[in-house]
Amino acid sequence: MRILIVEDEPLLAAQVIQALAEADYAVDHADNGRDGCHLGNVETYDAVVLDLGLPLMDGLTVLRKWRADGRRMPVVILTARDNWHDKVVGIDAGADDYLAKPFHMEELLARVRALIRRAAGHASAELVCGAVVLDTRSSRVTVDGVVISLTSHEFKVLSFLMHRQGELVSRTALIEHIYAQDHDRDSNTIEVFIGRLRRKLPPGLIETVRGLGYRLTGPA
Amino acid sequence: MRAGASAAGLAWGSLRLRLLAGTLVWIVASIVIAGWGLNSLFSRQVTMQFDADLNNHLDQLIAQLAIGVDDELSMRGSLSEPRFSTPFAGLYWQVDAAMRPGAAALPGVLRSRSLWDSVLSVPVDPLGDGQVRVHRVEGPNGNSLRALERQIELAERPGQPLRMIVAADERLLLAPIASFTRLLIIALGVLGLGLVAAAVVQVLIGLRPLGLLRETLARVREGRAERVEGHFPSEVQPLVDDFNTVLALNAEVAERARLQAGNLAHAVKTPLAILANAAARERTPFARLVEEQVAGARNQVDHHLAKARAAAAVKASGLRCAVRPTVEGLMRVMSRLHVERGLRIEWTGTDAEAVFRGEEQDLEEMVGNLLDNACKWARSRVTVRLVGDATMLAVVVDDDGKGLPDAVRAAVFARGVRADEQVQGSGLGLSIVHDLAQLYGGAVALETSAMGGVRAVLSLPRAA
Repeated sequence: MRILIVEDEPLLAAQVIQALAEADYAVDHADNGRDGCHLGNVETYDAVVLDLGLPLMDGLTVLRKWRADGRRMPVVILTARDNWHDKVVGIDAGADDYLAKPFHMEELLARVRALIRRAAGHASAELVCGAVVLDTRSSRVTVDGVVISLTSHEFKVLSFLMHRQGELVSRTALIEHIYAQDHDRDSNTIEVFIGRLRRKLPPGLIETVRGLGYRLTGPA
Repeated sequence: MRAGASAAGLAWGSLRLRLLAGTLVWIVASIVIAGWGLNSLFSRQVTMQFDADLNNHLDQLIAQLAIGVDDELSMRGSLSEPRFSTPFAGLYWQVDAAMRPGAAALPGVLRSRSLWDSVLSVPVDPLGDGQVRVHRVEGPNGNSLRALERQIELAERPGQPLRMIVAADERLLLAPIASFTRLLIIALGVLGLGLVAAAVVQVLIGLRPLGLLRETLARVREGRAERVEGHFPSEVQPLVDDFNTVLALNAEVAERARLQAGNLAHAVKTPLAILANAAARERTPFARLVEEQVAGARNQVDHHLAKARAAAAVKASGLRCAVRPTVEGLMRVMSRLHVERGLRIEWTGTDAEAVFRGEEQDLEEMVGNLLDNACKWARSRVTVRLVGDATMLAVVVDDDGKGLPDAVRAAVFARGVRADEQVQGSGLGLSIVHDLAQLYGGAVALETSAMGGVRAVLSLPRAA
């Protein structure tokens, strides 16, 4: 899952980036509104953490531009302006959630998780596909109730596929959603991760659609 | 103008009273002076006329005087005025003469028939030949007479001057003067009353723009208007313009205060967030202390900023805000922020016309906190109702949560106390609602909802 954070305060941005990375998200960062707006328009994100008081272009304008251009990714506003008036304005501008500074990092992570899950159409915090259960809250994967150990990249790939069960996911989409923008992207590594996952998961769970990509299908 | 205003209008310090009193003094003074002046002019004129008549009679008397061969004085004929011949008719003549040269004059040698048998006693004082003098003497029946006296000396009687006297009843002079004075008083009285009435009307009309200004200001104060509208006389208009400028400045100050409050929040809260996040990564007592203090600082900032914003707004005048759209905006936010809870948030009754006399952001702050609490505590449903009368309106928020024990209900308004530590929130929401409502002259109360949870009733002043 790939997340954009638009925040001009470098220390706070670093903290959020670190926390999100530790939760196995690929994170892009913009420190002003104009760059943030551009990234949101050209890259594919599963969620955005957006500050309101930004240099060059304020957060509300950025959000309105995205929504006007048909960008539908979930956005959580993270701001010090936390009175209800600002919340009404923010939600009406197209935000999906609103978190006031100072905040607990766990709270932010929980909101981001919930946003991504809801955007993919899952009501529960536990994603289930046959015998495989992925708990989005604890980032834990079990097969038939037994915890299996995954590397960060393996988890990222599985999590993305679990969120889009039954959908055909292209290799490009996988790359876009598990690597940050400045990461050295090699499409062959995807095949390596898929191979490793197949060995740890029940057979036949990840289907390869030749020339198109992959599909996660549970038992019918 | 209100009922109490007419009574207050009579108190000292009232412009109306000052203007009226000033005009009244001026009217009374000028009428008294005019009356006195006219009356004396008239009296003088009448007296002069009266004396001229008497003088005529005197001339006639002298012309009729004759001396017989035996040096006897006699009249050639009677005077033309018939009243000289009627006894006590009020017009008299008399001739005093000395019988021998050098002797004192003997009064009443010759007299008019009207004197009958009485003689006028005119004080003796030396007069030059032809000189005329006026005396006030007693008449035959005790009346005051105005007498004209002239001394002559006939060539036939050298050294024996004659005092020729004509007298008339003074009432003949005083009666027309008195009647004129009476008429004059009536005429001036009518004039005075007319002037006073005109002055009252003038003061009332002249001061009417002030009353109008007062009404308009009352509308501004009650939140029915944002500025003083309407055309005023050129003496009052600059005042109105200045006042409007002050109003605009006031609104600007309030807006700036809001903006600065927001900027301050941003400036303080971002470092607080960084501190809290850094501390959260550590497991030391120091880190816990930082986390605790950051939470405390955040509460203080929230609370005092909300109050500062509201205080600026409450002092500003002419604010109004439609309640329904504001609450609907908050309901949209709630259904988004509490989407995980799957709540139904709905109206159960609304007064679409309700307008709050105050700042929209403060209404949002109050209703937002109440709705947020209801959403946190509700099991499945939150309802909002809008009721009110002519002066107050009430936003009633119900939830179907587990409700609050009575003891907790009173305590939740204290700053920092949270009814349920398990439900996330600063615990400040309700005390901010309480403080803001009080600033606006409203109130917030927690009751038991028919749905089983809490009913929060927020009453606020309604704009007309």
